[in-house]
Amino acid sequence: MTRPSDVKPREGDLPGTRWDDFEIGAELPSFSFTISPEIVAEYSRAIENDPNGYVLDGKRVAIPSILSVYLMATLYRRYPPTQGGIMAGNKFRYYGLISADSDTTIVGSGEILDKFEKRGRRYVRYVARFTGADGKTIAEAENISTFPN
Amino acid sequence: MKKDYLITQEMIDRYGEINGDNDIIHYDVEYARERGFKAPIAHGLMVQGYASALGAEKYGADWFTRGEIEVKFVGPLYPDETITVEIDDEGRLDVSAGDRTCIVGSARLRDAS
Repeated sequence: MTRPSDVKPREGDLPGTRWDDFEIGAELPSFSFTISPEIVAEYSRAIENDPNGYVLDGKRVAIPSILSVYLMATLYRRYPPTQGGIMAGNKFRYYGLISADSDTTIVGSGEILDKFEKRGRRYVRYVARFTGADGKTIAEAENISTFPN
Repeated sequence: MKKDYLITQEMIDRYGEINGDNDIIHYDVEYARERGFKAPIAHGLMVQGYASALGAEKYGADWFTRGEIEVKFVGPLYPDETITVEIDDEGRLDVSAGDRTCIVGSARLRDAS
């Protein structure tokens, strides 16, 4: 079982990344984590959903948005977070199932796509990819966040 | 299809626990006010989770392998507000707190006409 805090640097733990330091095209290195039934239940309760998950073809599966709590780890493992980051936009595409009955090992990775300034705010856009142990894509995400420094 | 949620600071804190973050903008009143908000703000991804659950209800099994959700956070979501998460027949997603729109976007199936 991998809690998101096990793989995600927390705000204040390390000097926060300055916007100037984000590099367009930079690879966000891969990392592995395991989603357990306990994590599925805790996440589901945190979004006011049934902790038992869903039943598809006789198997219990997690709501796919559970990957949201691992999303920022993709960015922060290379670029530690500063306090006060705000999310501006986010896109998820779901492809594969995550079990709610047994552990699912997932590999996350990504890339910085862009950074830009708009109306006095500085933004970073990156893609995150999540694959299963068999290499098949489980989900992809594209996130835009703004940071105060 | 729509669903209401009363956001509380306890819910924000609980999401922060599983999310593993320590961003003080989600619980420090003074800091949030310094940043121009009237109170700590809810995690955008928490509310996107509500919308994803609504997507699962709307689209069923297809949502898990062909679902696509896109959100733009256009306004803050505060504790002690009741929000409405709605996905219309065309897959347009809207999250509002009273008459204030907070999130716009879409929740649709890929390859769906």
